[in-house]
Amino acid sequence: MEGLLVPVNVERLQVSLADAAAEVADRVLGAVGGAEDIGLADYVHTGADTTTVLGAVRLIGADVFAPHVLLGRPVHRDDAAVVARSFTVYPPTPQPTTRQQHVTAWRDWAVGRLLARTDETSPAGSDAAPTPETAAALLDGAKTWQEWSATAAQLSPLALPGVGGPIVAAVFAGMRPLARGVTRAVLRRDFVTAARLIRWMALSSSNGVRQPLDPVLLVERIRLYGGTGSRLALDLAISRVLLRMEPA
Amino acid sequence: MTTSLTSIAHNVAHRALIYLHDHQDTDIFPENIPVEPDDPDTVYKPVSEIGMAAALVLREGVGGTAQLRAARELIDSTWRKLREGDLLYERQVRNCLLTDPIEVYCHFTYGGHRHRALEQLTAHNAAVRSMPEVYPNRRLAVANAYRMCGMSTDDDWESLLRATWLGATPPPWAIDWDTAYSVTHTVFHVTDWGARPGDLPPDIADYLATWLPVWTDVWAEVGDWDLVAELLIVDASLPEPRFDLDVWTRFAAMQHDDGLMPRDGEPVDDDRVRRFWDHHHATVVAMVAGTLAVSRLLDTGR
Repeated sequence: MEGLLVPVNVERLQVSLADAAAEVADRVLGAVGGAEDIGLADYVHTGADTTTVLGAVRLIGADVFAPHVLLGRPVHRDDAAVVARSFTVYPPTPQPTTRQQHVTAWRDWAVGRLLARTDETSPAGSDAAPTPETAAALLDGAKTWQEWSATAAQLSPLALPGVGGPIVAAVFAGMRPLARGVTRAVLRRDFVTAARLIRWMALSSSNGVRQPLDPVLLVERIRLYGGTGSRLALDLAISRVLLRMEPA
Repeated sequence: MTTSLTSIAHNVAHRALIYLHDHQDTDIFPENIPVEPDDPDTVYKPVSEIGMAAALVLREGVGGTAQLRAARELIDSTWRKLREGDLLYERQVRNCLLTDPIEVYCHFTYGGHRHRALEQLTAHNAAVRSMPEVYPNRRLAVANAYRMCGMSTDDDWESLLRATWLGATPPPWAIDWDTAYSVTHTVFHVTDWGARPGDLPPDIADYLATWLPVWTDVWAEVGDWDLVAELLIVDASLPEPRFDLDVWTRFAAMQHDDGLMPRDGEPVDDDRVRRFWDHHHATVVAMVAGTLAVSRLLDTGR
């Protein structure tokens, strides 16, 4: 029987959700920065706990499609199937009511929208568009710039080409609270939040929206002043592509 | 909202004024401690700053009778500590390039205190045009001091302003604590402590209107109330002040019952003399911030 056992990497047995999310982010980062596939399916099959890995895929959200929408790389059929399966294991909230649930609903919507570009059939619920009113409620111009930018940071996986929709339009209309939020995050050395918000600056900049701040300088600032971690590195890499900067 | 903000700012200024007024005795300023020791920062600078704050209360004239009387008594007592200007005069005679005598003196003229010999010296120095090398925002302080005293200089305000950190409008996230103070002082001097908001060029006014809320938020979060107070003065000196009720409410809540404004979030000592010397600066700044905010709120009818 022993011969039938697949060798197990002990580190993979001890994986936490955060570790798995970092691994998924690293794989996407590798694909954005290099030529390799994300290898989501490979990671799921060799991981110790499929449920945990699928949870990580849900956490990374639409960013698993970053190599596709940014660089035109094909989405591997098996990887698309993993994304679809993550929605089966972690179904979307059918009736979002809280602010956090609305944020999640929009993140799910973005995944469904990009998944629909593949041959994979989107699972029920993932591509159901939340109402535009919920986008307006999340990014209402009457909110304080602190609240506004905190929400925009949570919605950063929507800051990809090809997503579009009312959230993107609402963020594009909020360059001032966005720039204030970035400035606050950098001054507090909250580089994770800063990098998320900079993605919005990068996307809007690539769409010709005038910026109060130079996103290129901000990307370099965070890279050089201690921005570390898989999630942050992926956000910066996506921004670099959007801004047509050389890879770091 | 305006009424409550006016009330909050008024209370901050009034209580700070009473605190400073009640701390001019010999326990705080012993007779045997010279106002001008080896290190001018110890007594000379605080005394000068208290006089300046009292002068601004008199200049704005927005307080009640009791408040204006307390401000009058405060400027008179600080003027006496400066030996009716003789101390400033002697500093200037000994060191012809010093700029602090005129910078201190100009405020006392609002209180009707004059020193003719000092004015002759400084007018002569202005004509000589031998300016020591100072930080660009400090250079603006000198220019404003001459302007306040009505002495003509050929200062080019635009180029003086553009030589400062603020004048270059760098990315607002590339600021530090020291430079934040430089920004505040650049605004104080260009606007003559809030009297000339229109003297800020439009691009600088826009820059400040956009980023001041962020800096205020960040330094309020860490409880740097001294700097927050300075930033509130900047706000009150803008063409269109923001007058953030939330920030003012948090700031006012920090003030102690006796009117002391703590400089930061650290515990405040119980000892009366120690309390004063630790926190007099933040209290002075709070008094100016409250006074200018009330004045602008009444001016703009907001």
